[in-house]
Amino acid sequence: MRRLALSVVAACVLLSACAKAPLTYNWGEYSSSLYKLKKDPSDENLQNHKQALVQIIQGSAQQSLRVPPGVYAEYGYILVKEGKIEQGIKYLDLEAQTYPEAKVFVERVKAQAIQPPNEKEQKQ
Amino acid sequence: MRRWLVFAMAVSLWLAVSACAPTATKKEAFPGMYQERPLSILVLPPINETTAADAKEYYSTTLAEPLSYMGYYVFPIEVVMDMMQHEGAYDTETLMNVPPQKFKEYFGADAVLFVRITKWDTAYYVIGGHVTVGVDFHLKSTTTGVDLWKYDGILQVSTGGGGGGGGGGLAGLIVQIVVTAVNTATADYVPIAKRANAIVISTIPTGKYHPMHGQDQDTRVIKRK
Repeated sequence: MRRLALSVVAACVLLSACAKAPLTYNWGEYSSSLYKLKKDPSDENLQNHKQALVQIIQGSAQQSLRVPPGVYAEYGYILVKEGKIEQGIKYLDLEAQTYPEAKVFVERVKAQAIQPPNEKEQKQ
Repeated sequence: MRRWLVFAMAVSLWLAVSACAPTATKKEAFPGMYQERPLSILVLPPINETTAADAKEYYSTTLAEPLSYMGYYVFPIEVVMDMMQHEGAYDTETLMNVPPQKFKEYFGADAVLFVRITKWDTAYYVIGGHVTVGVDFHLKSTTTGVDLWKYDGILQVSTGGGGGGGGGGLAGLIVQIVVTAVNTATADYVPIAKRANAIVISTIPTGKYHPMHGQDQDTRVIKRK
């Protein structure tokens, strides 16, 4: 029995040498809703993807997890593009608050999104 | 019974050890990562080297998650792609010659990731088929321009209809062909791409948000290139 216990310990040590300690995020339905949106860029799929982003933000808060990188920014960017500038900026700023390394990027996005290069764009 | 258990344990131990089958430590393979310790990765729109026109768009949806789980800040790929389109720089091929330092200036990124899709295809056989996804990653420092991490992988998954059963004669064969064709046509590349990513991305030294950050120098990876 003792030997068994010993080998269990040995196994744990060996395995944990390979295993990575977990880093947890709530990515929710992100990749599947984004994939659907790419496959068929309809308004319905855009709304679904937005919903997925909101659920990630809410779910992360419930689980006391950091919102995964880029999620606040992506949501804020979509809002800004929809003309909800103020709300969008709020989420863009949340990105920079959560991830200080995103600051330069967020400022760039804000500058570009608020004064889009005169083009009615958004092809796909 | 106990002996059996010990034997099973020995086998699983052996499997666990050989699964780590090494040729270099992460530190040896990617020293630049430990010198520069980049925090943030800017993923450029993937370069599609295949003939599948939609590969780039679909594949780009699979990258953020695995990179974030390795502990990096990953700039929102969708937003980056959209902004680059505005700037007329959607084709990463044209960005290959841009000095990497520009990405630091423009986005504040510590490192920039070039991803090539090298394979994205299906093959049909009489009684089966397979889907293949190949990817090639290349991370460059935006401070020194040095290559920080490079890795590639190809994953092939067979899509043949359930197989076996035997017999069936000619009608059976026809059914099989139809099944295979249908399966392969609807075969989703994305789950396979995700598995390929998981294999390749596990080799990058962990970033700041990972609990193992700065402690994985001796983790062994199978050396490539």
